[in-house]
Amino acid sequence: MTGDAVWYEAAQVVGITNALNVAADALGALGMVEEADAPPETRALFAEIRAFYESPEVPPAFRLIAHDPAYAADVWAAARRAYADNRLSRRVKEALAFAVSLTTRSGTGTTFHLGEMRRLGVGPRGIMEIVGVTQMFSSYTKIADTLQLEPDMGHLAPEDPTPAPGGPTR
Amino acid sequence: MPTVRLREAAEYPPEAQRLFELSKAWFNHDFGQPPAMSRVMAWDPEFGGPHGRAMKRAMSPGEFTRAEKEMVAAAVSGASACEY
Repeated sequence: MTGDAVWYEAAQVVGITNALNVAADALGALGMVEEADAPPETRALFAEIRAFYESPEVPPAFRLIAHDPAYAADVWAAARRAYADNRLSRRVKEALAFAVSLTTRSGTGTTFHLGEMRRLGVGPRGIMEIVGVTQMFSSYTKIADTLQLEPDMGHLAPEDPTPAPGGPTR
Repeated sequence: MPTVRLREAAEYPPEAQRLFELSKAWFNHDFGQPPAMSRVMAWDPEFGGPHGRAMKRAMSPGEFTRAEKEMVAAAVSGASACEY
């Protein structure tokens, strides 16, 4: 877990998870796109999403934003990139998404990513490990904020001297 | 600026000094002064002790590695907009 690349991946997961949860938790009034009524490009998009999640269901967030198929396709492309196996495994990424959903009180996200963790092989012990980390750091962060503590541990991690992907070394 | 005066490690009783040693071992880093959070948690050992044990239990390697858990902790802190 050294180097910045894994942290960029983690940040992508945190960001896109929040984006999807915002839609899934609060956009119900918009109504979900029904596949039977959807244009071909949306049906193709839904098929790709179902294949990625190995599920007969398309997550609600995508059905809610599919009223604009081109927008939904771009959001999905970003989500697929963020959640796919890369330097971080999909299993770890789902744990991150679960923790973030729990922290932000997203019922939809928590339920969805809990299911994904289980589907990817995380057992009851592993789930409780992530619950424990989430709870404990929800506590630490609030204690730190209440006392307005200033960061004093940032120097523990060494700086990563490598360039951006494809960039020249400095 | 903190809303409380963070005491120097030397201002704490011996049992807290032990907690600071544990903190140093946990992070595998010799801090000049224990981190602010360690000093906060040492203020009341009846709170900080069990809270710290729960944290250590949660962060210990299991199905997920400690490094993976540190990343989850960073994500939770980020989602909580906590700079510390």
